[in-house]
Amino acid sequence: MGAAALEPKPMRQKINRWPARLDVAQSLSGLLLVLFIWGHMFFESSILLGKDAMLWVTRMFEGAHLLGRPYPVLVSVAAALVLALVALHALLALRKFPANYRQYHRLNRHVSAMRHLDTTAWYIQVITGFALFFLASAHLLVVLLQPENIGPYASSDRVWSGRFWLLYGPLLLIVHLHAGIGIYRLCLKWGPFPAQRLGLWRGRIKLAAYCIVAFYLCLGTASLVTYMRIGAQHAPYAGERYAPEAVE
Amino acid sequence: MDNIPVRQHRTLTINILRHNPADGDSQPRLQAFEVDETDAMTLFIALNVIREEQDPTLTFDFVCRAGICGSCGMIINGRPGLACRTLTRDLPDEFTLLPLPGFELIADLSVNTGKWMRGMAERLETWVHASDLAGVDLDQMEQPMDPHLAEQIYELERCIECGCCIAACGTAQMRDDFVGAVGLNQVTRFRLDPRDQRDDSDFYQLVGDDSGVFGCMTLLGCEDMCPKDLPLATQIAFLRRRMVAV
Amino acid sequence: MSPIVTDVLVIGGGLAGQRAAIGARRRGLDVTVLSLVPAKRSHSAAAQGGMQASLGNCLGGAGDNEDLHFADTVRGSDWGADQDVVRMFAHMAPKAIRELAAWGVPWSRVQKGEHQITEDGQKKTIREADAAHGLITSRNFGGTAKWRACYVSDGTGHAMLYTMSNQAIAAGIPVHERMEAIALIHDGERCCGAVARNLMTGELQTYLARATCVASGGFGRIYRVSTNAVINEGLGAALALETGLARLGNMEAVQFHPTGIFPSGILVTEGCRGDGGLLLDGSGHRFMPDYEPEKRELASRDVVSRRMEEHIAAGHGASSRFGEHLWLDIRLLGRDHINSKLREVSEICHYFLGIDPAEELIPVRPAQHYSMGGIRTDRTGQCPSLSGLFAVGEAACWDMHGFNRLGGNSVAETVVAGMIVGETIADYCESDQGELTLSTALAADFQAREAARLRSIATNPGAEKAVELTRQMQQIMTDKVGIFRSAERLEEAVAGLLALQSRASRIGLSSARKGPNPELVAAYRLPRMLKLALCVACGALQRTESRGAHYRADYPQRNDQQWLQRTLTSWPEQDQEQPTIDYEPLDIMSMELPPGWRGYGARDFIAHPDSEARQAQIDALLAQAGPLDARQRQALLMPFEHFLPGIYRGRNQRLGDTDG
Repeated sequence: MGAAALEPKPMRQKINRWPARLDVAQSLSGLLLVLFIWGHMFFESSILLGKDAMLWVTRMFEGAHLLGRPYPVLVSVAAALVLALVALHALLALRKFPANYRQYHRLNRHVSAMRHLDTTAWYIQVITGFALFFLASAHLLVVLLQPENIGPYASSDRVWSGRFWLLYGPLLLIVHLHAGIGIYRLCLKWGPFPAQRLGLWRGRIKLAAYCIVAFYLCLGTASLVTYMRIGAQHAPYAGERYAPEAVE
Repeated sequence: MDNIPVRQHRTLTINILRHNPADGDSQPRLQAFEVDETDAMTLFIALNVIREEQDPTLTFDFVCRAGICGSCGMIINGRPGLACRTLTRDLPDEFTLLPLPGFELIADLSVNTGKWMRGMAERLETWVHASDLAGVDLDQMEQPMDPHLAEQIYELERCIECGCCIAACGTAQMRDDFVGAVGLNQVTRFRLDPRDQRDDSDFYQLVGDDSGVFGCMTLLGCEDMCPKDLPLATQIAFLRRRMVAV
Repeated sequence: MSPIVTDVLVIGGGLAGQRAAIGARRRGLDVTVLSLVPAKRSHSAAAQGGMQASLGNCLGGAGDNEDLHFADTVRGSDWGADQDVVRMFAHMAPKAIRELAAWGVPWSRVQKGEHQITEDGQKKTIREADAAHGLITSRNFGGTAKWRACYVSDGTGHAMLYTMSNQAIAAGIPVHERMEAIALIHDGERCCGAVARNLMTGELQTYLARATCVASGGFGRIYRVSTNAVINEGLGAALALETGLARLGNMEAVQFHPTGIFPSGILVTEGCRGDGGLLLDGSGHRFMPDYEPEKRELASRDVVSRRMEEHIAAGHGASSRFGEHLWLDIRLLGRDHINSKLREVSEICHYFLGIDPAEELIPVRPAQHYSMGGIRTDRTGQCPSLSGLFAVGEAACWDMHGFNRLGGNSVAETVVAGMIVGETIADYCESDQGELTLSTALAADFQAREAARLRSIATNPGAEKAVELTRQMQQIMTDKVGIFRSAERLEEAVAGLLALQSRASRIGLSSARKGPNPELVAAYRLPRMLKLALCVACGALQRTESRGAHYRADYPQRNDQQWLQRTLTSWPEQDQEQPTIDYEPLDIMSMELPPGWRGYGARDFIAHPDSEARQAQIDALLAQAGPLDARQRQALLMPFEHFLPGIYRGRNQRLGDTDG
C-alpha cells in the first residue's frame, strides 16, 4: 500500500547538520551570556561590601592575586570574548527576528491580539535584544578600551561624573528582562519535562525566573545607587584612583 | 442541565470579519450583528442564527459541531479556538470573530485549512512507512503492541488539524513555510510508532531546518491554545533533542 | 471548464470512500475523490466507541468468532439484513482491523493481569491472559454476545479516518475538497461520472469516470435532532435517486441512538454503557432491567431507544427547561477510566454541558443517528439498475444492517465494504463493461442542465426561504417520523412534506454573490432532502409492521408473513410528487439463520411458515451430514465465500487456534 511508500527510497541525501548546530549555538551562547551576566552582577555588587572588597575583585580579574601585579589587559581580553559572544548570539538570534515589514506587521498584530504571556515575552526579548546589541556593546567597548578604568573610584566617577548611569540604568533593566525570559524559554525549549508535569514545571520555572530577575534588579539598583553616591561624593576629585587604607 | 446558571438574557454584539475574495469589490471589514443570547448557546448556534435571520451570505465552516472534526477553528476575541464548543456565556457582551490567520481565506470566517494540512502531510509524509504494507497477511494475528505505547501514540494522534496551533504560533504567522506544532507533533507520533520504519536521520530530512523543528521559538502559543490539550511543548522539545542528536 | 477524466470517481471522502479509493488505486486505476469538506473532517471521525470485529483476544471476547458476529448482526437487523452480506462482513471484519493495525491505527491493546471492570452496576475483577498481552482488545457493546468492539480510547473513528486518509495521501490519491457532486451523468443505462460544484468558487466541473462510487454517508440532517454532522444531508443517495434508475433500499429504517446529549443531540458513545454505565430515570431509578431483563442497558439500540421514550412517556423522565430527558450515569466507572477510555465523552460533557461526568449525571435522550437505508446495491456494491454506479458505506444499502444496525458495526462496515467494493470497481474497470466511450457531449448536456437549474434557483423571485423550509422539514421528521410512528402521524408528515415541496419551488435568494454562497447551497439541496424525507415517510407509512428501528404503534408486531421484504424506493419521473415504492422479498429458505426471537425486545411476532420449514431443513441437513466443524457446517447451510474477492477468502487466525 501507499504507492509512494512502496517506491524504493532515493539514495539518502547527506543531511545538513547546520540548522541543528546553529540552534544549539544560539541556545548555548545565550546560556553562557546569562551565566556571565549573573556572575558579573555579584562581582560588580562587591561595592556594597565596601570599596576594598570591590578593589579586591577588580584586582582578582586583573590577575593580581596570581601574577603578583595587575594586568588590566586581561579584562580587555575577557571583554573581547564576551563581546564576541554577544555578537554571535545576536547574529544567530537575528535569524528569528521579523525579516521584513510584512513579518513585523503580522507579528505585531499577532502579539497584540493573542494577549499571551509567552508570546509577548518573546516580543519583549526581540526588543530588548535589539537594544542590548547597542547598549551592551557600548558598555563592553568601554571596558575593552579602558580596562584600567575599573575600580571603586574609577567606576564611580564614570557612573556619576561620566554620566554613565544613563547607560547603566536602562541596561540593568533590559539585560535582566532579556536574561530572565531567555533562561525560562531555554528550559522549556530543551528541558525533558514529561507532558503531565509540564504545566507544573513551567510554573516553577516561571516563578524562579521572576524571582531571579527581581533579585538582580534589586541588587543591580543597589550597587548602581552606591556607585552613584560614591561618584557624587568623589566628583570634585574625579580621576583620582582609590587607595586602600589598609595597605597604603 | 439545570445546574447551568441562568443569566439574564443578553443581547450580544458580534463583530465578524466580512470579506469575499471572489468578489473583486469586496474589502475586508468588520460587521456587527446583534443576537439574543439563549441558554447554552454556542457560537455554532449563534452564527447559524445570524445566517438564518440576518445575513444568508455569512460564510463559516462547521461539520460535526461536537469538537471532534476541527472544521470551525476561528479567532474568538483575539485567540484561536473551536467555535462549536465555545459557549457565549463565557464571552463578554461584545466580541469579535475573525478567520484563522495563516490560511487561505475562502470567505468571511471560512479558511482553507484542508489544503494547508494536505500540503503538510505530503511534505512530512505523515503515514506509516513500512516496506510490506501491501503484502500484510490479513489472515494472520496482528502484531502485538505494548498497551501503554498504543495509548501514547493515541495521545499524539488526537490532533484534529483544526489549525489553532498555527494561528497561535508567532513563527507560523511570520513564516509561511513553518510546519507548526501540528506538523511537528505528527512527526513525533510516527517516530514513536514501531510500525514506521523510518529512523531519526529520515525524520531529520523532514524537519531538520528552520521551517521545521529548529524554526520553533518556544512561544508556547500552540501548547496553550490547543483545543485537544495535546502535549505539544513536550513533544517539540523532545523532537528537538532527538534531531540535534542525529 | 473541460471535463476531468479519471478511471474511478469516488463521491465522499470518509472511511468507506477512501478505502474503496485505495483498493482501486492499488489495482492501478486513476482515482479521484470528491469531498464536501477536507477528507479528515468527514463524519467517520465522529465514531467514538468502537469497531466490531470478532478477534476474541480479551477475556470478554474469548470464544468469539464469525458465527457469533453473524448471528448478532442478523438478530440486530431484526432479520431484515441480507445474510450473505452479513456473512461476508463478519468474515472480513477481522481482516479489516488487522489491515488498519498494520497501517498505523493505535488500537487499544490487552494488558495482561488483573483489571477491575464494571458490569451490571457491580465492580468485578477479571484477569487477562499473558498470551493475549499486546493484542487488540475490545469492549462490550449493545446487542452482542461477546466483547467485540475494538477501540482506540473513544476516538476510534478519528484514529481510523486519519490513518486511512494518510494512506490515501501516501498512495497519491487526489481529494478534491469542497467539491459537491450535484448530478450523476448517465445515458439511461451507464453512469459515467458526475457534475460537481466547487463550494468555494461556485464553478461547475464535470468528471467523467468509468466507475462512479457514491460514499457520501447518511441523511441524518433531514431530522432536527440528530447526532449527525451538518454535512450528512444524504446528497449522494439523492443524486442516485434523481437518476430515476437507481433505487434506495429500506429508507424507513432510521436508527435513533439512545444517548444523544440533551438537547443538542451530540453523541456520547455506546461505550459508556458497554463499559458499565447505566441509564437512570428522573427519580434516579435504573429502569432498563425492568423492561429488558436479558440485556438491560445493552440491548440493541432500537430497543433501548424505544424503552427510553416509553419510560419518558410514562412520566418517569427528568425535566429541564428544554423538556424531558433521562440520565446516563458513568460515575461508577471512576475518573481514571473516564479520563483514559472515555476522553472525548469527558471533553464533550465539559464543553457543552459544563459538567464533570465522573461526578455528575449526563442528560440524554434518543436522537437520530444512522440511516440503514441507502442506494440499493448487490452484495459487491454495484447498483443493479445503473451500470458503472457503485455505492459503499452508510450511503449504500447492500443490506447488512436490515432494520437496525448494531453499535460498532458501521465503522466496521465502512472499511469492510470499502475493501470489497474497491475490488469490485477494479474488476469492473478491467472487464468489458468497464470500457467507457467518452461522451463529452453528454457531459456538456448535464453540465448545461445543472447550470440552468442553478441559474433558475438563483433568479427565482419567490419569497420562501430555504433555511426556514429546511427547519420545518426537520421538525416534521423528528415529530412525526421518529421512534414511534403511526398511520395518522405519517400521513400528516407526508402531507406536510408535500406542502414543503411545493413551497420549495418558490424559494428566492437575497443575494447572488460570487464565491461561496451558503444560501444558494441550502436552496438547491432542500428539494433533494425533501425527496429523501418523502422516501422515509412514505416507506414508513406503507410498512404496516414493526421491525427493528421502524416501530408502528398501530402495528406493533413484526410481521414476517407479510413484511419480510426490502423496501425499494425510486423516483422514475422527475415531475412525480411522491416516490414509487416496490418490495423485494427476502428468501427464508436460503437463510442460514431463519427468523425468530432476537433475544431481547418484543417476543411476539407473526412468523412466516417458511421459518419453521427452513429450520427443519437445516436440522435435516446437519443430521445427514454427520459431525462437522463450524466452517463446514456454515458452508453446508449458506456458502458465501465465493462472493468475496479472491484475496480475502482466507481463514481468520485467532489466539488459541490449534491448527494455525
